Amino acid sequence: MALRDIKPTRSELINIKRRIKLSERGYNILKMKRDGLILEFFKVLQQAKDSRGALLERYERAMEMIALAETVEGAIGVKAAAFSTADAPAISLKSKNIMGVVVPEIDASSVRKGVLDRGYGMLGTSAVIDETAEAFEDLLEAIIEAAEIETTMKRLLDEIESTKRRVNALEFKVIPELSEARDFIKMRLDEMEREELFRLKKIKARST
Amino acid sequence: MAGVSSGSAQYIYACTRMRVRKSLLIPREDYLRMLNMSLPEITRFIGETTYRSEIDELGTSFSGINLVEVALSWNLAKEYQSILELVPGDLKHFTASYLRRWDIQNVVTVLRGKMQKLQPGKIKEVLVPAGRLDRVVLDRLVAEESPERVAEALKGERFYPVIERELPRAMETGSFAHLENELYKGYYARLIADAKAGVKGGDIFLKYIQLEIDIRNIQNLFRLRAGHVREDFRELMIGGGSFTVDELQRLSGLESQDEFIDALKRQVKMIPLLNALEEIRGKTALHEIEVALTRVQLDQMERMSKRYAFSILPILVYLEKKKYEVANLRALARGKEAGLPGERLQGYLVM
Repeated sequence: MALRDIKPTRSELINIKRRIKLSERGYNILKMKRDGLILEFFKVLQQAKDSRGALLERYERAMEMIALAETVEGAIGVKAAAFSTADAPAISLKSKNIMGVVVPEIDASSVRKGVLDRGYGMLGTSAVIDETAEAFEDLLEAIIEAAEIETTMKRLLDEIESTKRRVNALEFKVIPELSEARDFIKMRLDEMEREELFRLKKIKARST
Repeated sequence: MAGVSSGSAQYIYACTRMRVRKSLLIPREDYLRMLNMSLPEITRFIGETTYRSEIDELGTSFSGINLVEVALSWNLAKEYQSILELVPGDLKHFTASYLRRWDIQNVVTVLRGKMQKLQPGKIKEVLVPAGRLDRVVLDRLVAEESPERVAEALKGERFYPVIERELPRAMETGSFAHLENELYKGYYARLIADAKAGVKGGDIFLKYIQLEIDIRNIQNLFRLRAGHVREDFRELMIGGGSFTVDELQRLSGLESQDEFIDALKRQVKMIPLLNALEEIRGKTALHEIEVALTRVQLDQMERMSKRYAFSILPILVYLEKKKYEVANLRALARGKEAGLPGERLQGYLVM
């Protein structure tokens, strides 16, 4: 806001003072929100670290089990067993609110199945198929959990970033500019008052 | 000892041929040597054995691990088909019955592939025509449009009544598990019926089938316990073994693994199986338990085949040993490709 565009009037001064007050209140609230979000973020960060660790662990186990299944049953046996998967896991997305940030809540059904519900027969397969299927079910669960936590973390980060930008904008641009404008108007009003007083004195001196 | 005393020249001829073929199987020392080889070295080694023609034939279409696996499957199928041609009379009948398990495996795979609307090429990749249904018949099945058409094309086969009965339920639920289990149960019931049909050597065949059923049931009990299945699973057990289905259901109700093994041991008389059960006590990985039990089955089979030297058993021993040779070579190749350490890989070999 360039100072030359400002009308040095009392009403403008009142208006600017009101805006400064509002900005300061907004600034305080946003600062609190930012701090709160950062606290939340650190909590989620810990969960994300844990879930990422679990995901890696389960991924390694699943890869080991598929290698083992292909070793014991052959790729042919594993593929034939994989043909039997009847239904794909269903995922439903809900949302929850963390300090105004809408984050996803993922509910997955039929990820983990019992040994009798996987679609292959007990009498035509071996135990290594059970163990491999179980390892991949574990992995899928870990992926879904990590997806939820990491999306939450990403959304929180985005929100922290935008809140920080708003706080900085208020702290370093909006409030200083408004204060400058307020000071300018005050100065101009004082000057105008002095001019007026001087003019009145001049008129009085001329008339006497 | 009907098989031994048969004295039939044809029996002696077939059993001797099997013994010769068995002696050509890869010995334990070679497996141990292969544990220290790389995948290309293993492929070359396999290419220098009886698998040479398949490796040469498929070398232009496949490479690396896929070449090994497909060549092994082709060789197994070819070998089984040649044995079916070679064995005479009643032995042929028993052998054909025994090899029907491959038909079941192939038919169930085709049905599943059709249900999932997979490309025929994809389905063909996983078929092993080692049973009575040869490659031509399987190709015809794969070319059918739907599972119902596949079932119709199987009219006249032994297992058609089971497919006809179970297919509507499978189509409705989208799962072929029950159909598959019923087919295998029907397969064993039919084997028992064949063995009891008064054919010469049937009693020996029956002994082996009972051993296989017992081992399979025990393996499945371990699987069901590991899967925490507590409901009534009598329909998953194969009847006709030394344990009744009710006994197996009762055994599965035992809480701890130790109690379960103790209860099993009280009912088992076979010394190698008793030893294997004791060995299993400390194991937690299911596939290790399964391998230990499979080894008992093969050892016991081998012992029985020596006792009944001119019966169906030398043929079955060869069929099983050939199957495990293929499985071992595949395990070695796959294991090497996956970077599994030699000691671990050795645990999965049935030698």
